[in-house]
Amino acid sequence: MKRLAKYICLGLLVTAMGCEMDLDIPNPNQPTMEVFWQNAQDAEQGVNAIYSSFARPGLSRWMPMIYITRSDEGYSGSPWSDLANAMGGFIQPDYNFGPVIDVWVDCYVGIFRANQVIANVPGIDMDAQLKNRLLGEAHFLRAYFYYNLALLWGNVPLMLDPSTPTDLPPTSTQTEVWSQVEEDLAFAAANLPNSFSGPDLGRVTRGAANALLAKTLMQQRKFSEALQPLEWLVNGDGAGIYGLVDNYRDNFLITSENNRESIFEWQFVINATETTDNDVATPNHNYGTSISQFLAPPGIGWADAEARTWVIGEFMKESTVAGERDPRLAASYIFADTDERGAEFTMVYGQTFAQRYGMDNNRAFFRKFLNDHWRDEEGYRSPNNYRIIRYADVLLMYAEVLNELGRTAEAYPYVDQVRERVGLPALSQVRPGLSAGQFLQQLKHERLLELSGEGHRWADLARWGDLGPGIADRDPGFNNFEVGRHEFLPIPQRDLDINRNLVQNPGW
Amino acid sequence: MKKILQRPFVWLLLLLGFSTGTLWAQNTVQVSGTVVEKATGEPFPGVTVLEKGTSNGTVTDIDGNFSLEVAGNESILSVSFIGFVSTEIPVLGRSSITIELEEDLSDLEEFVVIGYQTIKKKDLTGATSVVNTDKSSRVTAASLGESLQGLAPGVSIRNGGAPGQPAQVEIRGIASFINSNPLYVIDGMIADANPTINTNDIESIQILKDASAAAIYGSRAANGVIIITTKQGVEGDARVSVSAKYGVQQLPPTFDMMNSSQFAEMQRRQFTNSGMTPPPSVSSQFDPSVNTNWYDVGTQLGNAQDYNVTLSGGAKNSSYLVSGSYFKNKGVLIGNDFERMALRINTRSKKGRVTFGENLVFTNSITNAPGTGNPFYDMPQMLPVIPVRGERYISAANPEGWGKGTTDAVTYAWNPAAVNAINSYRSNFAKIVGNAYLDVDIAEGLVYRFNAGAELSFDHNKRMRRSGEWHFNQPAAPTSIIEDRSLFSSFLLEHTLNYTKTFGKHSINGVVGYSQQRTKIDILSAGRTDLQSFDGRYLNTVSSATGDPIADGFIPQNYAISGFLGRANYTYDERFLLTLTGRYDADSRFASENRARFFPSIAGAWRLSEESFFSSSLISDMKLRASYGELGIVTVGSWDYLGFLNSNPRAIFGPDQAAFVGATQARLANPNLGWERRISQNIGADIGLFDDALTISAEYYNSLSQDVLVNLPIAWYLGNLGGEPAVNAASIRNTGVELAATYRNINRAFKWDVSANMTTIRNRVEDVGNLGEGIDYIQTGITRTQIGRSLGEWFVLQTDGIFQSQEEVNVHVNSNGQLIQPFAQPGDIRFVDQNGDGEINQEDRTFVGSPWPTLQTGAQFNASYGNFTFNMQWVGVFGYTILNGVRRELDSYQNTNFRAGINPWTPENPNTSDPRIGVSVGDPALIDNARIESDRWLEDGSYLRLRNLEIGYNFNSALLQQWKVSNARVFASGQNLFTFTKYSGPDPDVTGNGILERGLDNGNWPVPRIYSLGFQFEF
Repeated sequence: MKRLAKYICLGLLVTAMGCEMDLDIPNPNQPTMEVFWQNAQDAEQGVNAIYSSFARPGLSRWMPMIYITRSDEGYSGSPWSDLANAMGGFIQPDYNFGPVIDVWVDCYVGIFRANQVIANVPGIDMDAQLKNRLLGEAHFLRAYFYYNLALLWGNVPLMLDPSTPTDLPPTSTQTEVWSQVEEDLAFAAANLPNSFSGPDLGRVTRGAANALLAKTLMQQRKFSEALQPLEWLVNGDGAGIYGLVDNYRDNFLITSENNRESIFEWQFVINATETTDNDVATPNHNYGTSISQFLAPPGIGWADAEARTWVIGEFMKESTVAGERDPRLAASYIFADTDERGAEFTMVYGQTFAQRYGMDNNRAFFRKFLNDHWRDEEGYRSPNNYRIIRYADVLLMYAEVLNELGRTAEAYPYVDQVRERVGLPALSQVRPGLSAGQFLQQLKHERLLELSGEGHRWADLARWGDLGPGIADRDPGFNNFEVGRHEFLPIPQRDLDINRNLVQNPGW
Repeated sequence: MKKILQRPFVWLLLLLGFSTGTLWAQNTVQVSGTVVEKATGEPFPGVTVLEKGTSNGTVTDIDGNFSLEVAGNESILSVSFIGFVSTEIPVLGRSSITIELEEDLSDLEEFVVIGYQTIKKKDLTGATSVVNTDKSSRVTAASLGESLQGLAPGVSIRNGGAPGQPAQVEIRGIASFINSNPLYVIDGMIADANPTINTNDIESIQILKDASAAAIYGSRAANGVIIITTKQGVEGDARVSVSAKYGVQQLPPTFDMMNSSQFAEMQRRQFTNSGMTPPPSVSSQFDPSVNTNWYDVGTQLGNAQDYNVTLSGGAKNSSYLVSGSYFKNKGVLIGNDFERMALRINTRSKKGRVTFGENLVFTNSITNAPGTGNPFYDMPQMLPVIPVRGERYISAANPEGWGKGTTDAVTYAWNPAAVNAINSYRSNFAKIVGNAYLDVDIAEGLVYRFNAGAELSFDHNKRMRRSGEWHFNQPAAPTSIIEDRSLFSSFLLEHTLNYTKTFGKHSINGVVGYSQQRTKIDILSAGRTDLQSFDGRYLNTVSSATGDPIADGFIPQNYAISGFLGRANYTYDERFLLTLTGRYDADSRFASENRARFFPSIAGAWRLSEESFFSSSLISDMKLRASYGELGIVTVGSWDYLGFLNSNPRAIFGPDQAAFVGATQARLANPNLGWERRISQNIGADIGLFDDALTISAEYYNSLSQDVLVNLPIAWYLGNLGGEPAVNAASIRNTGVELAATYRNINRAFKWDVSANMTTIRNRVEDVGNLGEGIDYIQTGITRTQIGRSLGEWFVLQTDGIFQSQEEVNVHVNSNGQLIQPFAQPGDIRFVDQNGDGEINQEDRTFVGSPWPTLQTGAQFNASYGNFTFNMQWVGVFGYTILNGVRRELDSYQNTNFRAGINPWTPENPNTSDPRIGVSVGDPALIDNARIESDRWLEDGSYLRLRNLEIGYNFNSALLQQWKVSNARVFASGQNLFTFTKYSGPDPDVTGNGILERGLDNGNWPVPRIYSLGFQFEF
């Protein structure tokens, strides 16, 4: 019995030993949200996270591709036929088609991040000026994502507070989305500084807010309201900040990023060791864009989007004052005659065009996002910044607004600035005295040549009311365009399946 | 546990395990004798002879002789051997005794491990399947799950196929959207029985299927429990047993693809049909000398080798078993293999009231694979006009000139030889799994046990990407090496008290205890870009690379469970049985207010055949059982109930374009996460007929899972990333019938037995939670999980043949006369406009088929005649639908090789099921023909397979005795030799894509055919 007692004691001892189980195990990898949103650094990091969305594939790859291919300047000849049909063929039987969905998802990822800042930063005890600036950035970025949603899908749910899993918002009309964008941009313009320098270079500015506000208003044909933000840029404070760079091509090179012509620019850099495009999976994600791999000509990249060659003909219509070809053509396209001497001289990533594609190939590829100016290959990690809004764009917008307001004569000088930079004669000399209608036609030509392959064409066509089978002669994809349907993309089926408060766009 | 290991006392306990027990003998009476087999009269070696009521005993030698010192003439000898009726013989002063052992037709006296207790099979009240390891060990299998296919009713096994890949095991259907894996208990340690565990070490397998059986594992048991007990040494001289098996593995028939001439002809036709110029590779520059069969390139004759040596023995108070094994499987795909070396040491020692034992296995397993891509998806698509390598493909990025798609021979399929040469992924898992226990006989019938278990896995993965390209338009990427090392650790600590008491007609036994387990994974990884190579040989360490460094480290899991458990069994007069079980568990993976829960169950049984009114010459045993109870399962990650800050985003700013840290909540969280619960009811009957020559077991179960976590496919407009937050919202019911029967005929020279089992599982979704107004389903890809239906049924467009003429296209209109398929041409697929709105879109999807089998069966036949043995196993799965994703790629006709048998529609060739062939760019009707959400790709998956066929020869004992060998046997077997199925893919036994797309075949690795030769002997 003595032994028995001993064993029982032993047993109790062991039992006591085993019972110190602590079930509160902290996560060693990440802090909980409760400890965040406390100070200025938290606010700044929260805003940084919104910018991080730009490198996600939906925004940095597919969104520019959709804008380019859906307009009449480009199409997709991808052997991935679902892609070819969706991109510019206006055929998308699968409403959850990945490349299109990615844009939707990543816009809303950015919006969720912006909403967290907008909801939490006002309560932080911090320097008021910095706080307002950061809130201004968040409002701008949220507005930018909704601007794109409004352009591509039109009628979308408006998420303005941090998401919770069971949110079932209704569809807002495109008009309602535009007004939200206007409101956010007004806030941003009031709170953002005129410029940034040093380690803050690349953050959005008052100029960017005014430019995007003008675009938003112009898409709604609110020309008189668009005048004010444009005047700030062209004749107001912005005039001291912005100007055209001398060499047009500098807008597309990695050696001249964030130049004086740049109003809103996405910043990209190579991270050679990255393992994913998903910017929340690991800090070691892609800090660049993969669009160059998708646009580069065959043998280098996927060539998933390429140019409609009628645009090249437009470039040929006018020579510079010196009698030379418009220099913007070579900056815009890789094709047989990028080098005026022809396919045997045009260099395509280290080989001549003729070597790669023979003498009879008349395909043309968008060049502005590519890296052929500094290397002979592409990849998923392009460091070439995407200049979303350039001052040249703003000048042409200003001219358009003045023209729409019946001030055509006043519009001439702004077009001329853009033309003269590339050596073309002033419009006031070659085409003086145009009527408002003629001037708009001329502006369409000017915008096409200045901005081709940068993703603005879709918005332009939509604003001008030119979307429709009427332009199928220059882009056969428009044969499939049904007016009243294809202005917008189909709302993702998954979101419709989950949220019955949403309605599908007309015709889909 | 870490703390615990620091205590000297525990180390003392651990040390004890390696000492053998001391002798404890009294000198009284010497008894010797011979044991013979009753049927044949032949001497019986290896029989255990024990002095009853003591641990004093011995084992008969090769001539059946034994000799034992017993306490006195009144002592009783207890004589036993597995599969024979144990007998008790009083010594009665005899010094020499001959004992006859009779073969036992009934297994009811067998002990069954039911978790913290063993009881006799006849006393079971819950639904428990016992798998005979004699059957499961016949197949060549890397993992336990694989070896169980078809052997136990209610257990669905789907094979992974790849070397070292575990099988999908489901017990009684699926009751969770997230996790369907059963809980494994290996010698009392809760640890995964993955391919690192050698199946040859397993002595017995018990499968706990209902709430009563499994409730002792409470919060982790809802998917069922598989209890594995490994082999132990038995008292007697040291015995060495050796087995060896070698088999070749052959790929079963796959898709029959076109050769280059056939392909060129068909592709020319395809382009011509679309009014396009055929690419030069099939026209002007067609090179008939290039004719690559990509299956030949990517596959090889595999093999499987399995060697085991076991040394075992024991003395009166101690036993030991040491086994070493080597298993190697070279897969049927090039570059894929799996290798496992294992050492097991099981010992048991007794001193006085204390028994100490340990069961430990050390294993090292290595898996090699390219680590990227799926050749079963790519090989059939790759074009035969592309060579494996060629001059024209050589470039700076592709120095070896691997063949791949080009602008004039477009395919995006991957060259399997190139993938294998350029990429490698080697996984090395060094593992220790085991437990040590201390039993103390506190008083008559009362035993205390302290059990400490551990699973440690030291994992090392090494991934290399060498220079080269393996597909068309491959983006530039640097060469690189990444190594990661991780430590998985799981420590279990348990205290239990067992009590057994019989008084009169009452018999009580039970267990109470405390259990805690902590599990953690810790990962560290490092790498570098830009490998160095010299003469084609790559340096393969991180520091030998010269580019940018990569470093990462995190703890993906760290959680703990603690709980109290108890079970009481009461038997009255061997007629009425009652079992009460309960477990109270708390789990760190939930918020503190949701952390703990009690899981009770009750079961009763009535042995009808023991009643006085029951008299039947036919029925020898009959028992009716019923049970009811609740089980749980945790399907969440360690910290899912909390919202976390994600600091991975980076913003690029400044003239130097530096990366600035961004932080945001990326993933939405649900703070109210809780257990998934399964309320399970079971009724069963066990019947023995003809003196138990025929035994039948039948079960009906109905289990309702509640609070099932749904990873709500939340809307994309929420901007959520990193996985969808789970909500305890759904409910799933599984009902079914299980039948198992065995007939044994062993009283003649030709002995045989046959077993068969069948399972039905009806899976029905009862609730999916509040997904918004009017939404009673969850959409996943092309499946939908809707209330009233099974999980993940195919939700696709219905097709209705092929338009034979423009006229037929024109009359395919809705009630308003609207043309439904305006783009269609003759030869295109006709889709059914379900909602009559005049167009084909997502609104026209409907339920077409279920991936759930209506019937699963298994059958085994064993026979022996003289020295020959014969074993045959069949598996049949019927009534389910597979989506053949690879055929969809092939029959879409775009950028792929074509199946040899296709017969595309033309006006001259209208009677075919293959639509017209063309290039789909700019031809929306061809895109529609290829839609994945279409019943065109659904196929009946039913199959019947000869799982195993084995012929063996046992050498006769005279010859063996000369060689001092106690038994020896050679055998030849064929595994997966024949499969009867209508499925057009390589193998209908698909594991699918997770729980909700369980029937999706996107290049599933087919189970190979294996032809093996082997031998085993013991001395």
